[in-house]
Amino acid sequence: MTAPATRRVARPAVPVVRVGPLAWRVLGVVGLLLAWEALARLNAGSYVLAGPVAVAIHGVEHAGLLGRALRATLVNAAWGFLWGNLAAIGLAAVILLVPRLERLLVALALLVFCLPLVATGPILRVAYGPGDGPQIVLAALAVYYTTLLALLVGLRAVPRSWLDLVESYGRGAGAQLLHVRAMAALPYLAAGLQIAAPAAILGAMVGEFTGAERGLGVLTIRATRALDVDATWTIALLAAGMAMAAYWAFGALLRRVASDPPALLLAPPGPALRRGRRRGAAGAAVMILVALALWQGGMDALGLNSYFAKRPGDVLTFLVTGPEAASHRATLLAAYAETLAYTLPGYLAGLALGAGLACAITLAPGLAAVAMPVAVALRSVPIVTTAPLLVLALGRGSVGTITIVAVMIFFPTLVACLQGLRQAPGDVIDIFASYATGRWRTLVLARVPAMLPAFFAAARMGVPAAILAVTTAEWLATGRGIGSLMALTASTSDYNMLWSAITLVALTAALAHTLVARIERAVLRVYGPEQLAR
Amino acid sequence: MAPDGPPSATGRAVSCTDLVKVFDASGDPVQAVGPLDATFAAGHTTALVGPSGCGKSSLLRMIAGLERPSAGTIRIGAETPRDLTRRAALAMAFQDAALLPWRSVRSNVALGLSLARQPPDAARIERLIGLVGLAGFNDRRPAELSGGMRQRAAIARCLVSAPELLLLDEPFGAVDELTRRRLNRDLPALWQGTTAILVTHSVVEAAMLADRVLVLSPRPATIMAEIDIPLPRPRDEDDAALRDRIAAIAAALRDSGPDRVLAAQ
Ligand SMILES: Nc1ncnc2c1ncn2[C@@H]1O[C@H](COP(=O)(O)OP(=O)(O)OP(=O)(O)O)[C@@H](O)[C@H]1O
Ligand SMILES: [Mg+2]
Repeated sequence: MTAPATRRVARPAVPVVRVGPLAWRVLGVVGLLLAWEALARLNAGSYVLAGPVAVAIHGVEHAGLLGRALRATLVNAAWGFLWGNLAAIGLAAVILLVPRLERLLVALALLVFCLPLVATGPILRVAYGPGDGPQIVLAALAVYYTTLLALLVGLRAVPRSWLDLVESYGRGAGAQLLHVRAMAALPYLAAGLQIAAPAAILGAMVGEFTGAERGLGVLTIRATRALDVDATWTIALLAAGMAMAAYWAFGALLRRVASDPPALLLAPPGPALRRGRRRGAAGAAVMILVALALWQGGMDALGLNSYFAKRPGDVLTFLVTGPEAASHRATLLAAYAETLAYTLPGYLAGLALGAGLACAITLAPGLAAVAMPVAVALRSVPIVTTAPLLVLALGRGSVGTITIVAVMIFFPTLVACLQGLRQAPGDVIDIFASYATGRWRTLVLARVPAMLPAFFAAARMGVPAAILAVTTAEWLATGRGIGSLMALTASTSDYNMLWSAITLVALTAALAHTLVARIERAVLRVYGPEQLAR
Repeated sequence: MAPDGPPSATGRAVSCTDLVKVFDASGDPVQAVGPLDATFAAGHTTALVGPSGCGKSSLLRMIAGLERPSAGTIRIGAETPRDLTRRAALAMAFQDAALLPWRSVRSNVALGLSLARQPPDAARIERLIGLVGLAGFNDRRPAELSGGMRQRAAIARCLVSAPELLLLDEPFGAVDELTRRRLNRDLPALWQGTTAILVTHSVVEAAMLADRVLVLSPRPATIMAEIDIPLPRPRDEDDAALRDRIAAIAAALRDSGPDRVLAAQ
């Protein structure tokens, strides 16, 4: 892909909205708070909503406790952010210098990214014992993949001639990296870090959910168990606020390094599978073998106790060849089916609502300018940190879980689609206008096709997000599905079942991701061929 | 040679023998060049003109060692293009100037030295920036320059390492007519004595800059005509002898095939 094309795709994500005079803004905030408070008072007996007054009182009364927890979470998130991003930078450099490894490394990175955090958390806890290790590792796991993708796009979004320039002096890939690619990738790295910042907070909190001594995640668990509505709201708002603040802080950094920040959700899918079905299948087989070898070899090399660190062979015995394999399979698959029944509707609803609202906003011009900043801000909130609120509001049944998944998918999709809808080249729109084509037809004929690449990028990145959302919700609250099975087996030290569940979930996520990427590539071949070229 | 021009390297003669380039990325081979035989005299400037898509850039990129010939050989003196790039003895100017946007003009020119593994030489860099008429813009970023200024900065970057072979791919493609005239008049002095190969769409530019013009056929590129321009420099676009040469090139181009050349103003 050449940079001019990328730059064009990468129009600024957010329109500069001039919010009216300060007075209006203050009035708006006050109105919102009043409505919130009124709603809370109306629902006083229902243990769902805490009003701003209650939240403020709780915050002040427990300021010391909340402050310490917040500090612990932020410190862990910062370490995880650092390690995760360093890992991403290292991986990107390796891929750039040894391009042959790209498919393998990116696929493995995706597989690791798809590991359900709520299950890796307890296992890390056993491996580390008490301390901050697991939270930091989970925060790192939550950030490295998006940063890696951002870097890979950025390192390549370089005009051919810049690379030729270096080559024409007889210099190789190292000099290209040093003189050209590293600097050219900076804006992309900054954009990746912006997405990573709230994700690190989320990762650290999930790590704290699974048995830490300190941190906002610990307080969340306590408040949820005690049905303490005020505490739940205060903590969730605090976590969301921190995530938003981190997102905005890195946004400011991004605007410093790039006058025209790249829109990362538009990152094209990885390199296409080799031509031919057979080679594709062979590639997948190699990948699975490498993954299994790394799993086994890694655990052996680290000398991890096979009591909690189950190897591929253990899982195979447990699920296939062992004496009670059939009943194990039945338990696992029942929970799995339950989880899928929540995930799929939530995922599809999130996608449909995001794309639909984006289209609706475009039909009502003017609305976009208002909706976009709100959507961008809310996208930065790791929904999982607010999952307890949704569970409070919607109950522990299927509606609550499906809603959590849908909300998790909805905001990134909305933002991506709004960006995509604006990609429709101005002159195409002008042509339609000159034929007095109606808004609807323009939308269908010109804007929606232009939106498709962004939509599919969101759908692809939404797969691991949906899995994270559903397992966390099940783990925290609903007591159903595979997330709950993981919680149960972690607490009863049934590590064979836990590892089986991890394997199943990671494989499902990786397969779903591949499937979406395939559809995406087929669609892009028609609607955005420049996104596939390298 | 211009008295204050850059210390000129010994130019090298370039010869292409039975040169062929076939692109076959998508399983649908496209022959871009050849078979083509050509020699480019040492120390002379040769212009390549031909219809769009005929294979000029492919030819230049092969000579620069950026693309491997599918068949045939290229010799620069006694060396291959790779030998030359390994010594960092050639420099190429790209159609889009290829300045790095985060570097200032001075630093972009300095890159020409550092990529060629030559020691930094502030005085030389300064002098070259002056010679291409960018004095006072040393600290500007490419985004603050006009298209023509960018091209001149790129040419300064090429010349700063005193290459033995200079390859220019439509260096003034993005320049307005007036600036282009001025560049055509002033720049050749800077690389006098160096072997230079120049791709251009403009018949006038070819006649202004070159000692010899090669007219290429439509794809795959082969040589259709050679036109010598034995006129002294600096040249004047309105000079009758030059006008005569321009007409000859344009006529050769018309004969060479579908006339899709943009120029011949
Ligand atoms: N990397 C490549 N892969 C496949 N085909 C190529 C490649 N580079 C060039 N071609 C093909 O080779 C032919 C000649 O291209 P080239 O860029 O050399 O033309 P050109 O004469 O420089 O054209 P222009 O004047 O428009 O710049 C074209 O048909 C082009 O499609
Ligand atoms: Mg060309």
